[in-house]
Amino acid sequence: MGNRKIFSLAFLLLLLTLLLFACNNDDSADSGTDTGTDSGDTGDSGDSGEEKVLVFGRGGDSVSLDPITVTDGESFKVTKNIFDTLINFGEQDTEIEPGLATDWEAAEDGLTYTLTLREGVMFHDGTEFNADAVVANFERWAGGDADQFPYYGSMFGGFGDEDGHVIESVTATGDYEVEFKLKRPQAPFLKNLAMSPFGIASPTAVEAAGDSFGDNPVGTGPFTFVDWSRNDSVTIEKFDDYWIEDEPKLDRVIFRSIPDNSARLNALLSGEIDLADGITPSDGATIEGDDNLQLFERPSMNVGYLGMTVTREPFDDPLVRQAMNHAIDKQAIVDAFFEGRAEVAKNPIPPVISGYNDNIEGYEYDPDRARELLAEAGLPDGFDMELYAMPVPRPYMPDGQKVAEAIQSNLADIGVNAEIVSFEWATYLEKAANGEADAFLLGWTGDNGDADNFLYVLLDQDNIGSNNYTYYENQALHDLLIAAQTEVDEDVRNDLYMQAQEIIHEDAPWVPLAHSTPLLAGGSNVVDFKPHPTGSDKLSAVDLE
Amino acid sequence: MSQSAVENKKVQSDKVAGPWKEAWRGFRKSKIAVVGMGIVIFFILLAVFGPLVTMQGINEQNLPERLLPPSSTYWLGTDDFGRDILSRIVHGARISLWVGFLAVVGSALMGSLLGILAGYYGRWVDAVISRIFDIMLAFPSILLAIAVVSVLGPSLRNALIAIAIINIPNFGRLIRSKVLSIKEDEYIMSAKAIGMKDNRILFSHILPNSMAPVIVQGTLAIATAIIEAAALGFLGLGAQAPAPEWGKMLADSRPYLTNAPWTMIFPGLAIMLTVLGFNLMGDGLRDALDPRMKS
Repeated sequence: MGNRKIFSLAFLLLLLTLLLFACNNDDSADSGTDTGTDSGDTGDSGDSGEEKVLVFGRGGDSVSLDPITVTDGESFKVTKNIFDTLINFGEQDTEIEPGLATDWEAAEDGLTYTLTLREGVMFHDGTEFNADAVVANFERWAGGDADQFPYYGSMFGGFGDEDGHVIESVTATGDYEVEFKLKRPQAPFLKNLAMSPFGIASPTAVEAAGDSFGDNPVGTGPFTFVDWSRNDSVTIEKFDDYWIEDEPKLDRVIFRSIPDNSARLNALLSGEIDLADGITPSDGATIEGDDNLQLFERPSMNVGYLGMTVTREPFDDPLVRQAMNHAIDKQAIVDAFFEGRAEVAKNPIPPVISGYNDNIEGYEYDPDRARELLAEAGLPDGFDMELYAMPVPRPYMPDGQKVAEAIQSNLADIGVNAEIVSFEWATYLEKAANGEADAFLLGWTGDNGDADNFLYVLLDQDNIGSNNYTYYENQALHDLLIAAQTEVDEDVRNDLYMQAQEIIHEDAPWVPLAHSTPLLAGGSNVVDFKPHPTGSDKLSAVDLE
Repeated sequence: MSQSAVENKKVQSDKVAGPWKEAWRGFRKSKIAVVGMGIVIFFILLAVFGPLVTMQGINEQNLPERLLPPSSTYWLGTDDFGRDILSRIVHGARISLWVGFLAVVGSALMGSLLGILAGYYGRWVDAVISRIFDIMLAFPSILLAIAVVSVLGPSLRNALIAIAIINIPNFGRLIRSKVLSIKEDEYIMSAKAIGMKDNRILFSHILPNSMAPVIVQGTLAIATAIIEAAALGFLGLGAQAPAPEWGKMLADSRPYLTNAPWTMIFPGLAIMLTVLGFNLMGDGLRDALDPRMKS
């Protein structure tokens, strides 16, 4: 028994020592600097004639490396560097620029597009890139279904002979000329072509690999695929015959999955990785204050929101949904959990996107008004509900659990008793898509910078069960959104979207929370890294010093 | 050792003190055990009266005042929702002690019942019960608790049930071995000989005489139960937001370890001190109640 006492005492001492260490950390910022310098040194060694290897730390693994089969950002982060698209987005915006197509021409009626292709481009497997390759890709996609190629269906309205399918035919009118014929005009057509899922794959490799193409991707991009160990890392290396001279500058890029935000930051501090995605806003100031690190802000093109399933009581009543909007103190949430690196949202689309309706007045934080609205809806004593809190940090919502707790407290003020529940990410999305949640936190990062990619995808009745998790439907809204899709005149189109936002504001299926500025961090030796608003970055111009 | 043995003999020769009083004297002799009891009493008082006197609310969020360091207004600082950490720790004492106590009472009751049955009846009853205990002890206890909670669903009540369940075999085995030895004593033999019913033998004679180790094990088990509850809370399987459970407070403050270490240090200290208190007290009790000490 004497032993036990001695042990307890020793334990106490050990804990006290640990405590002292923890307190010490405050003023010993220089200890972090030391490790930072070390990492700088290892980076330099790459400079001296050896391989330049960039390790990119991110929150999750890719689902597949065949971009057309997936919709998740972690897959596109890799495929954007293996595949090229016919049309590119600007360096840090979503304006269209030449990609594999050097030039394009649209007919007056908006029904025919003729694309001139770049000559002398090779796929990684030595196949030549030409009009036939483009046609082969579109034939493959159009011949699939929503399970195989989900993004093709939602951007081009369907597959094969289906009525909604926008593309009537894709034909090679020359060795380097392709003609697209559409059934009806589609305003964002060229922007759609620039989206990561529509990267052009080598037709011979697709044929050879069949279903396993996602494990052996072959494109024309700056890097070729080397190796993928699931849930750990994807390795790609320089493609020597890339069509832009002097690019890529790096010899090798390794994408490592490190799910925990603080573990990823520690890996960056210790020099294990060179770039880290998904930096917690509260760490932003620390990184800015460290000479060995640099902070990157990804231009904001997203929305984080609280969705309410409008088919469930009491959220079937618009008054209740408006009350929820008044009850939540968005500004406080943005200040606390986005550390101010976000803008309070009032519309489902972010302000950078054309068609944003700035005339709408957001619901003010006003608990009294919220209580009045609840009383008007016949619920003066409030109600009980389940609040889904996302289990993983996302760029549009750095910490879903904390935001949920803040909302829970706001709702308690108006007598609504919210119980926070959470599931594993895939289950969470599935349950929300099935309409099982009363209210849920979620968000969206735009893929092509078009209002259609937010309003139609997230709130139209056509997308109930897929991306419209709220089950919200409104015929007038649907008509506006479809009209906007086929409208080619930019001003008329923007006007349609403005009206659509008014309807959504009134019906309030969401509480729009914030448009965040996602943060990344890298060692000070990383140059020319320009984060793209779509969330996936082409790394061909990036270099290590 | 030898000194205390002499003392014990003196006490015995007095024949004034009852067994409990005698145990108390033994207990008092160990300074460290008294310190342990002091800590435990302090936390019990905190749990009972603390919530009545803390100034700040426990769940009222005040986001502009988040992550403030300890000051005269907020003695232990504020957490990431601007809530007073002191008030939350005080309320958390109520949760932790309550869970620890109830879980141990639950497992002691179940464990004692099964242990007595196994020890007294022997044969297949013993075989079945003992094998079940063996199986339960084969799992790391926290893993078993996680399994139980994931079946029942995460909540404080279910965490309590899980902790009670995983501690049953510890008590069961203890009682069983005690019963095995008591069963052979003359007074039980004679009780049997005069035809006393099993029920009465079990509950009026065997049970009270095998209580001492249960009390010792109970105090030590409260310490473990508090840690287990905190661990489940930390994993998000115990108390749910916004309850000020210590383990959950630790988990919530993980992102602020470098920026605001007080959010983590004080709940951690609270857990450590309570557990230390119960362990020291348990050790003292064991020394005082262990029959091997009296020869």
